[in-house]
Amino acid sequence: MRVLGRCRSPAAGSPRGGSAARAALAVVLAAALAACGGEGAPGGSAGSVPDSARRGGTVVIAGQTEIPGVDPLVPPPDYMASQVERYVLFMPLVQLGSDLGFRPWLARSWDVSEDSTAVVFHLRDDVAWSDGEPVTARDVAFTFRKAKDPDIPFPNRAYFDRWDSVSVVDAHTVRFRIRPYSQFLFGWSQVPVLPRHVLGDVPDSALAGDPFGTSAPVGDGPFRFVRHDQGDRWVFEANPDFPEELGGRPWLDRLVYRVIPDEATAVAELARGEADLFMNVPPGALDRVRSDSSLKVVTFPTSTYAFVAWNTRRPLLSDARVRRALTMAMDREAMLQAVRGGLGRVSAGPLGPWHWAYDTAWKPLPYDPDSAGALLDAAGWRDTDGDGIRDRHGRPFRFTLLVPDVRIRQDIAVMMQADLRKVGVYLEPRTRDFASLAGAIQDPSRPYDAFLLSWSEDLVIDDRDYWACDRRENPLQFSGWCEETLDAVMDSIPRATDRAEKRRLLREYAETVQRAQPYTFLFDEDRAVGLRAGLEGVEMDVRGELRTVRSWWLRPGAR
Amino acid sequence: MLRYTGRRLLEAVPLLLGIVTLTFILLHVAPGDPTTAYFNPNIPPDVLEQMRRNLGLDRPLPVQYLDWLRSFFTGHFGYSFSQHRPVAAVIGDALPNTLLLSGVSLVLIFVLGCAVGIVQAVRQYSALDQVLTVGALTLYSVPGFWLGLMLILLVSAPAVSSWLHLPISGMTSIGYDSMGTWGRIWDQVRHLVLPTIALGLASAAGVARYMRGSMLEVIRQDYIRTARAKGLGEREVILGHALRNALLPVVSLLGLYLPLLFGGTVVIEVVFSWPGMGRLLYDGILARDYPVVMAATFLFGALVVAGNLVSDLLYAAVDPRVRYGER
Repeated sequence: MRVLGRCRSPAAGSPRGGSAARAALAVVLAAALAACGGEGAPGGSAGSVPDSARRGGTVVIAGQTEIPGVDPLVPPPDYMASQVERYVLFMPLVQLGSDLGFRPWLARSWDVSEDSTAVVFHLRDDVAWSDGEPVTARDVAFTFRKAKDPDIPFPNRAYFDRWDSVSVVDAHTVRFRIRPYSQFLFGWSQVPVLPRHVLGDVPDSALAGDPFGTSAPVGDGPFRFVRHDQGDRWVFEANPDFPEELGGRPWLDRLVYRVIPDEATAVAELARGEADLFMNVPPGALDRVRSDSSLKVVTFPTSTYAFVAWNTRRPLLSDARVRRALTMAMDREAMLQAVRGGLGRVSAGPLGPWHWAYDTAWKPLPYDPDSAGALLDAAGWRDTDGDGIRDRHGRPFRFTLLVPDVRIRQDIAVMMQADLRKVGVYLEPRTRDFASLAGAIQDPSRPYDAFLLSWSEDLVIDDRDYWACDRRENPLQFSGWCEETLDAVMDSIPRATDRAEKRRLLREYAETVQRAQPYTFLFDEDRAVGLRAGLEGVEMDVRGELRTVRSWWLRPGAR
Repeated sequence: MLRYTGRRLLEAVPLLLGIVTLTFILLHVAPGDPTTAYFNPNIPPDVLEQMRRNLGLDRPLPVQYLDWLRSFFTGHFGYSFSQHRPVAAVIGDALPNTLLLSGVSLVLIFVLGCAVGIVQAVRQYSALDQVLTVGALTLYSVPGFWLGLMLILLVSAPAVSSWLHLPISGMTSIGYDSMGTWGRIWDQVRHLVLPTIALGLASAAGVARYMRGSMLEVIRQDYIRTARAKGLGEREVILGHALRNALLPVVSLLGLYLPLLFGGTVVIEVVFSWPGMGRLLYDGILARDYPVVMAATFLFGALVVAGNLVSDLLYAAVDPRVRYGER
């Protein structure tokens, strides 16, 4: 399944007949565009280049942080590391489709028992580890046992909470006992299968320090490990034995991940052609990258939203009208344009447009300082002493906002301060480095009024840790707000197996949170990736930047 | 001399112990620890607790402190939280890179600084002197990271990059592995150019100011007049007679510039993606990798102490009037 096939122009036949045919064509067109990556490069469609001309070249990816290691069992959990694990070095059993459903990958197929308590995976028999050993059911069972092992601090153990036991049926068949829930396969799309013959003899306590994670990984993915220079680069090369049915050997010869912590340096390297792709073009550099004819920009929605969490345990912020007023007093569109260069959309609640359950009819709360003032009046906050700050029972409306020491966030805080000052509310920003902020906001004594942060949603939404009344002690209950009736809705989300029902529940959940405004959801953030114009086959979405890396290819002039 | 050196080394012990103790306290006073920063709802509390246990963070602070001291005296500095290997190995990777960068910068600082200072002193009040003075003062007040970014923009501009192709990040090119020995050396030299300039130029400007002043003082002295009267050439007078005395106060600057240099690496290594101690310290602080931060602080401290000592000893070596530890 090469990109070639999917990218071929569907314009062969002319549309005839009724609107249904035209609609169908529109769908096909949209699919083809999506498959080819949004911004096409100059020089004709990708389909005109023969396969033989696509092979070869090295792509250098610039990222700002080191990939700490590629053993998923070893903390810290890391965004780029998990992408390299899933799409470069190893193979998970299943992959996520564009609808966030599951597609076969290392598992050729799977059966679920009538009562949804047993799952049998049928593995591919044409996959081998880079040292030549075949990938078998015993590797799957081994990975599962390690993930469940209480002596191993596997960061994502929650993925397998409802997976109870495993048995190897034969070399390529493995059976699990599970307790039923929807999207139960999600963990197997995130955690790749690991080689038992390499890691089987490593004691649990030595796993973290084992060279497997940092200097000698043995994988089965489309690329193989070549070298890792700590703090500098990871080098991978094409795996010539990657199964033909899954696309075969990647087009690229080599893939290099380089750590360039300073974003200005990274943008300069991109412009010079020393880097082929930079994962996180800052909004300030977007115009420069866009105007450079040798570069292009891919933007796509992420599951990340920026928000202000209100500590509703404090009397000042316990009233939903007040929180609503604060949201409406902020010109979020202006903030989005000013600090993020318009990369994203003003948020309409906890569920962003990246998710299939998002309702396009949702509208963000409007920027309306007058209504905000009226709401504050109604809640009893009036400026009785004429000092420009509202007060109630002799207490002025002042609070502090913890802000991470990232310039974009600090700029938002300053704009927020100016907006709120106009409705008679005094906000005092206080900057913290990330670890300090993370420590403060998870502290059981909740030592904050409000804080500003961004949050990446898991692709399977289960937000009970943030809002459920029966999880009040969870460190992630930043706002302290909950509603008993919402608990029931949230509890049924993971159990709902029917998509329509699940959509209804997710929407009810999102709308309830939006009404109560325990957070001010600022924006749903888009990511901008800058790349060489001659780098083709790059498709990115919420499933990750490296998802199609095995079919990336360089135009001959760009190698 | 030996006794003096011994005494200075002994004095350094409580100083360095104080540095690491203070670092330890500061690190633990700051809110958050390595696991709070993971910050991921998928990590169940018991797993988080276990991570903390594995890192030894569940034990009382004095125990952690003593444990660190023990690992420190046995020479392996504990285990890095983020890299899962002995800190000694982590530092073994990074320290040579930083020593290379700061060593070359040090040479630049003194060679360039002295040369410019001498030229200025010899041509006092000339147009060249004025230009160099303005240039030196400007460079002296420019922060290193800004200079670094400007250099990157400069060499990336098409007008410059067409004839001067200098790498702007990292220590080696992507094709380094396939290069021959000389190719590798040349590759590293090219990668050193910009970070060395960004790290050293401001200090070189400072040294130039000192050198100019010191040289001016020396060339007004009688023995220089004598030398000239003997009919020696200007070159012999300046480089043969004046330079040695003029260098005395400049040599003692070494001790002053070393802390600046090592402090500078923290910023410069981030700007130029140089995988050295400065980056290690920076990343370590962000990730709350306590053992790495402690070890890096200790090493920087030790290097500064050593640099001061060397500069004092050098002072005695170049000035026969200075004698340490003799009554």
